[in-house]
Amino acid sequence: MPVTEPVLCKRIPTAPWGDPKDRHVVSYDEYVKTGGYESLEKALSMKPAEVVDLVKESQLRGRGGAGFPCGLKWTFLPEPDGGRRYLALNCDEAEPCTFKDRLLIDFDPHLVLEGVAIACYACQLDTAYFFIRGEYHKQAKVVQNAIDEAYAHGIFGKQGLLKGKSKQAVECYLHRSAGAYICGEETGMLECIEGKRGWPRIKPPFPAVQGLFGRPTIINNVETLAALCPIVKKGKDWWASMGCESSIGAPPSYGPKLMGVSGHVNKPGVYEVDLGIKLSTLINDFAGGIRGGKKFKGAIPGGVSMGVLGPDQFDAEMDFDIGRTNQLLGLGTACPTIFDEDTDMVAVARNICRFFANESCGQCTPCREGTSWTYKILCRIEQGNGTSKDLDMLLEIAGSMGIVSGTTICGLADGNNWAVRTIVNKFRSEFEARVRPSLVAVGVTVGAS
Amino acid sequence: MAWKTKQSATIEIDKRSEPYLTQQMQDRFTEELLPRYETKHASLIPILHEIQDEYRCIPYQAMIEIATFLELKPADVLDTASFYEEFSIEKLGKYVIGVCQSVACEICGHQAILDHVRKKLDLEPHETTDDGKFTLLTLECLGSCDTAPVALVNDELHENLTIEKLDQIMENLPD
Repeated sequence: MPVTEPVLCKRIPTAPWGDPKDRHVVSYDEYVKTGGYESLEKALSMKPAEVVDLVKESQLRGRGGAGFPCGLKWTFLPEPDGGRRYLALNCDEAEPCTFKDRLLIDFDPHLVLEGVAIACYACQLDTAYFFIRGEYHKQAKVVQNAIDEAYAHGIFGKQGLLKGKSKQAVECYLHRSAGAYICGEETGMLECIEGKRGWPRIKPPFPAVQGLFGRPTIINNVETLAALCPIVKKGKDWWASMGCESSIGAPPSYGPKLMGVSGHVNKPGVYEVDLGIKLSTLINDFAGGIRGGKKFKGAIPGGVSMGVLGPDQFDAEMDFDIGRTNQLLGLGTACPTIFDEDTDMVAVARNICRFFANESCGQCTPCREGTSWTYKILCRIEQGNGTSKDLDMLLEIAGSMGIVSGTTICGLADGNNWAVRTIVNKFRSEFEARVRPSLVAVGVTVGAS
Repeated sequence: MAWKTKQSATIEIDKRSEPYLTQQMQDRFTEELLPRYETKHASLIPILHEIQDEYRCIPYQAMIEIATFLELKPADVLDTASFYEEFSIEKLGKYVIGVCQSVACEICGHQAILDHVRKKLDLEPHETTDDGKFTLLTLECLGSCDTAPVALVNDELHENLTIEKLDQIMENLPD
């Protein structure tokens, strides 16, 4: 069964169910009038372990990029020992082409806060940090306002969750980052909350065991937490009725997903669709087709670090298996950016590498140097000064940095690697047309016996 | 670039008698901010945000004052302040125009917008006009790819930019 009614976008008018022009910030009163905080009430009537089991059985996969099962992540927490336990809500969303979480916090922040309260109850956490990127100025004000409203109505605070219906008290604070992509990496984010530079930590220990201030910490994405509300309210079977099974025997991709379409399309924006939707359907039926009636050339499926889809992958199915079925790193945030036939893919590669070179935190040498080298090589190729040797060197440098090759702490360099390798491999002729051949003089005696 | 550091061990610091971190600020932070976090160090980023907003830069003297307030070493404060792009040791203009240059904005025509601001203000990215009114920055993704090209003017995001729209926005900024 496909998504027949808006789930996360219930209060946010989104095509085809509503007109984006009618969007407004949903206040606490309006939220409660339209069934808000009922899921929290239902969750509080269950035991914390039952909520964890429900989320586990729903097979909700994290919406932040990696698609890690949310319920499984929660079970990594040790038993409460009386000390503090944290929730860190990741709203860094700094990856180019990604903007789906913004829709939720722009207009329906209480949905996210209700998810925060449910997660804190289920995992018995006492403090939640709403980590938001520094560039989201307006959104930070909206969220702070919503947190104040939630405190005023007894959702958070010393009296216990939901006006003291549960004895468990949860504090929720907004923490603004200050413009660093690396703070979206989970341990980089923890360092940022601790007031240090956002250098990712070596794992293990994993944050669930030793995270913020050395205490157990759960880290979830905004959309993942928002999805908890409908799951608790309507159950796991209803959730599994949307989305798709895996075609390659991997865990399923259930539920609706926010997909933000940008680039060369007629109606860019965020749409709520089934996981597993074909990219062509998303573009033609939701985003109004490609601008100017042009042909499809390629797309970034969900953030530049995931790699690029080629011209023959227009019908790619947008589920968590997309990495294996379409030679990518993964689905990422499922926010596709579409390129039409006139796009210069060398310029796209150069832009992506500049981003990674700019945002590398500098902790691991292969990433700090390698990202800049790939950027410099691509600038050279773009300006027509590259040789075919550069192309080989580009792929070699890209492949030698990252977690996969074991040379860095976090996955930032893997993002650069996948972007470079997929663009060069899927659009090789464009790169070859821009480089001069490297000729090597070889001494051969003709006619020698 | 986040990881570039400058030689700072031997520089001379401009000092003024009036503190940057006023008593009023300290009282407010003690009441509102410090209880939120397990360590004093964790209050550093919210405090740096306030200083940056107030003075449009983070002077070295302010870093020393913050360090005293949070019981840190001044080097710890510099370590954090120099990492994040929103914090600037040099004073920024009254209006900071940050043009997004990431991939969605680039394929939707950010170059024309950037070139227009450059010519109009006679500035290269990361420079400030002599009268201290404008600073031009090129920023990475601002998280609004569906309305590309976009630019931040101080705290406000301007979407679906055209040259005419940008001219209008800049003319409407008070002196």
